[in-house]
Amino acid sequence: MAILEAVALAKEYQLGEHTVHALRGVDLAVQEGEFLAIMGPSGSGKSTLLHLLGGLDKPTSGDVVLAGESLAVLGDDETTLARRHKVGFVFQFFNLLPTLTAQENVALPLFIDGQSESDYAERVRAILDRVGLAGRYDHKPDQLSGGEQQRVSIARAFVTGPAIVLADEPTGNLDSTTGRSIMELLRRSCDETGQTIIMVTHDSRAAAYADRIVFLRDGHIVGTTSWNDGMDLNARFRVVVAQMEELEL
Amino acid sequence: MSLTARLAALRVNPMLKLALRSLRGRPSRTLLTLLGIVLGVAVILAISITNLSTVRSIQDLFAEASGNAQLMVVSAANDEQGFAESIATRVRSVAGVEHVAPVVQEHTSLADVAVGSDRTASWTGLAASGLLLYGIDPEADRAVRDYVITAGEYLGGSIDAHKIVLVQDWAEDNDIEVGEDIALWSDSGVQQVLVVGLMSKSGAGKLNNGAFGIMPLGAVQDIFGRSGDIDSIDIVVSANQRNTTGIEQIKDAVQERLGEDYAVIYPSTQGDKVTRMLDSYQMGLSFFSGMALFVGVFMIYNAFSMTVVERTRELGMLRAVGMTKAQVRQQILIEAILLGCAGVALGVLLGVALSTGLIGFMEGLVSQDVTRVRIPIGGLIKAVGVGLAATLVAAMVPAVQAGRVSPLEALRARASAQEPWFIERGWPLGVGLIIVALFLMFGFPSAESMLLQSLNSLALTLAFGGATLLVPAVTAALDRYVRLPVTRVYGNEGRIGSSNVQRSRLRAALTVASLVVGISMIIAIGALTTSFKRDVGEWIGSYIGGDLYAYGSLPLRTDLSARIEAIDGVEAATPVRYASVTWVRPTADKETIQFRAMDPASYRRVTEFNLVDARLDPAELADELAQGDVVFVSTIMAEKYGLQVGDSLTLQTRRGLRDFRIAAVVVDYMEQGLTVQGSWKDMRRYLGIHDAEFFLIKTAQGADVAAVQQRITDQFGERDHLTVQSNQVIKEEATAITSQTFAMFDVLAVISMVVAALGVVNTLTMSVFERTRELGMLRSIGMTQRQIRRMVLSEAALIGLVGGIMGLAVGLILARLFTLGASNSQGYEVKFYLPWVPVLTSVFISLGISQVAAMLPARRAAKLRIISAIQFE
Repeated sequence: MAILEAVALAKEYQLGEHTVHALRGVDLAVQEGEFLAIMGPSGSGKSTLLHLLGGLDKPTSGDVVLAGESLAVLGDDETTLARRHKVGFVFQFFNLLPTLTAQENVALPLFIDGQSESDYAERVRAILDRVGLAGRYDHKPDQLSGGEQQRVSIARAFVTGPAIVLADEPTGNLDSTTGRSIMELLRRSCDETGQTIIMVTHDSRAAAYADRIVFLRDGHIVGTTSWNDGMDLNARFRVVVAQMEELEL
Repeated sequence: MSLTARLAALRVNPMLKLALRSLRGRPSRTLLTLLGIVLGVAVILAISITNLSTVRSIQDLFAEASGNAQLMVVSAANDEQGFAESIATRVRSVAGVEHVAPVVQEHTSLADVAVGSDRTASWTGLAASGLLLYGIDPEADRAVRDYVITAGEYLGGSIDAHKIVLVQDWAEDNDIEVGEDIALWSDSGVQQVLVVGLMSKSGAGKLNNGAFGIMPLGAVQDIFGRSGDIDSIDIVVSANQRNTTGIEQIKDAVQERLGEDYAVIYPSTQGDKVTRMLDSYQMGLSFFSGMALFVGVFMIYNAFSMTVVERTRELGMLRAVGMTKAQVRQQILIEAILLGCAGVALGVLLGVALSTGLIGFMEGLVSQDVTRVRIPIGGLIKAVGVGLAATLVAAMVPAVQAGRVSPLEALRARASAQEPWFIERGWPLGVGLIIVALFLMFGFPSAESMLLQSLNSLALTLAFGGATLLVPAVTAALDRYVRLPVTRVYGNEGRIGSSNVQRSRLRAALTVASLVVGISMIIAIGALTTSFKRDVGEWIGSYIGGDLYAYGSLPLRTDLSARIEAIDGVEAATPVRYASVTWVRPTADKETIQFRAMDPASYRRVTEFNLVDARLDPAELADELAQGDVVFVSTIMAEKYGLQVGDSLTLQTRRGLRDFRIAAVVVDYMEQGLTVQGSWKDMRRYLGIHDAEFFLIKTAQGADVAAVQQRITDQFGERDHLTVQSNQVIKEEATAITSQTFAMFDVLAVISMVVAALGVVNTLTMSVFERTRELGMLRSIGMTQRQIRRMVLSEAALIGLVGGIMGLAVGLILARLFTLGASNSQGYEVKFYLPWVPVLTSVFISLGISQVAAMLPARRAAKLRIISAIQFE
């Protein structure tokens, strides 16, 4: 069953005197437990799509249905609550609060929701343990490496048990080894907990971790790739590269 | 144009262009910074203009009243009794004296004007009631004073003619025309006098704020029973002697010729007494200049450092394309100079405008029009110089910071600015500065008043500077406790928001400091106002007593009290009179004080002596007083000169020097408290004064005070020219005067709070701006707009609370210092009263201001577009 559905999604915005058509009618369904990657060159509309899927922005036309709820008709506060309860975000630049410790940063969505610390303290630590940050609960962001900061950010996205996690270039600000370990973490989370993940990336190696890849160009979906379960990572990577060449991306 | 000049122009012009663009591109920032400069400069200049104009106007008044006279002879005894007219002949015989003009002064009023309507209460007592009359020798006076006759003619004919020349404005106000007879009150009843001319309200015409007239000397002497008496002699020295040494020599010669009973003075020094009274008031205003400057510097600094933070990328890009460090610094400084010049120009304009308002207050204070508004060159230079210097200094640190931006930073996400050293380690210096400030305030008790004013301004600036350095440490110490109520109100958003204060401690410190300045001024002013009001209240209590107060604009016979007592509803009435008397101190110094005559027996039936020592027996004291040669001294005399019960006091009387035994110390603030109280017996035999000035009246138990007041007025109002007022009304009037006196300070306190509020706006706007991406993240993970607003408001609340608490502490210390300062300059102790209302409200005011000021930035934060915010660098 589709946990997230985009229907004829279009987005235009004004840039000076020009109207930019960032998305020109995208239809997309994401199944529960699926790990989807969105790829495309700069300006293809992939970030716009991600923002619309996560309720950060309103489409010009079309709709996003998230876990049975249509986002297009919601007001700002309702959209905000939908994000709070149903969406987790992972950013390229981590976006942690420098004044808070790792566990406080992870707990932020719960904290904002007004839940009491005693209720969530254990859950937060368990998630930090799961992302490999056991024993670093009380470190502040400036005491953590880039990879560790991204792990905190991933834990923050997972902590509410959202319907979907949206990741915008999660490896974009990391070296390749650290990037790989972050991708492994996302993949494992999807496999072990059935978490639905949608990731925007430039990086074909990162995209190879996904179950399915959608290619975007000039605001349209121009291709889709998926593979059999038996395929190893390198083989998947070659498929991605070949597909991109074919699509002239 | 030479080649180098051309090159220089090429180099400067684009910089200027860039600077102008950047100022125009951020209009709200530019406006905020400009406002800081404008307010600072305006307040400094306005205060300077007000002070100078007031003092000069008063000096001018007395100088102009004396016309061309260089010197003046008055009685040394200063006992209101004048001296013989023949003295003028002795003065005339001194070599170098060209003209002498004798003057006799009297106060009177129009007989047909409603009783009492002409009496105005005044802080300094400069405006006496009714009409001030100068009896002059019309011929001799022409050489001294220029009267500009606007209608009719100048006094002529006989020296005894009952003719008068009035000031035109006053005559018009009273519907008097040339050729008309007017009725004046005098000792010998109503006198008809012919108005022969009107003069303009200039020169001597400004005396008594225009309620002034001249009559022939003989006529005044005749009407007021002062035959052969004069009060002063104006002297014009010969043309060849009109230089400093010449005048000084003649002054000495005249003094020698006349002997000790006369004083030869410079006319303008007559105004000194009044200006001295304004001293502490002006000192208070000077304090404010220092403070305005201080807060102004904050705002400018804040705004410029914000510019730098906001433009890190832009500056990095400029560096990347080849701008040198020095050029970047120069760029910021050019902006500062542009803003500084514009701000100073506008500040001067606003300052002049503001000064007209402040002068209005001052006019009310001294009951005299301040006609000539003077812009002091020194004050102008100070305001302009300080405005420009403050702008440059405040922009210097951000300019250096801007220079340090590396080209790489253009490409990187923003890095947080480094904190200056004094955030962590500034507090010992802060303590040091405060100690120096205290030393400056109290280390030079005998310094001249101008120097003292400068020292005090400096001390205040240092003290505030010191307090600012303490802010980070105090904020850290208070943080835990203050955060509690903030999170209680704002919940989890409050917890995130309040922790933001620690993120830019410099900015938080500056904002807290500007709130501290504003709040502490409110408290200090509140304390001073409360203290003065209490003092005035006490003074009135001791001055009047009883239920009703009856006075006349002409001397009253003391036996009138018996007739007042006969009126239904009056229980007792007692006559009182104040008269100047010269006190010869053991050091042989002479001091003019007031002698208050009372009738002990009837006085005690109306009210009780205001004794300081409750153990003394009033009945016994009344007996002692009645016997004579005994006085009570005021608390102020006792404090100032260390006088005690049992000491004796020597007064210069008509019967030579007399010793009086001090029987008690009482509260009496009349004439700044330089008073002694004695019996009518002594007043009559030693000072030759028989008439009462006012009566204190006690109504019978259960009597309707207003009805009694009406009955007394009906019976004596017209006939004895008596005005009756209820003590309640007088107290209210006095309180109103005090409030008016301090209204000027209230205006300035409001200005400082506005400036503090602008500081909060600036800080929070900057804080929101710097955290744009963070706000985007918070919104994306589910913070509602309301939560974002509450988060920003909570940050402001923490700043407001800390500012309020610190402001309260600093304000109380300041209030104590102000009252001590006022005590020093007034020569007696202004009692310190805790100003409850400001104290209780200060923290709330601070909190309220922080919340109001935070609304705009909070809204801005809440309305950020999430996707632009998270992509923001």
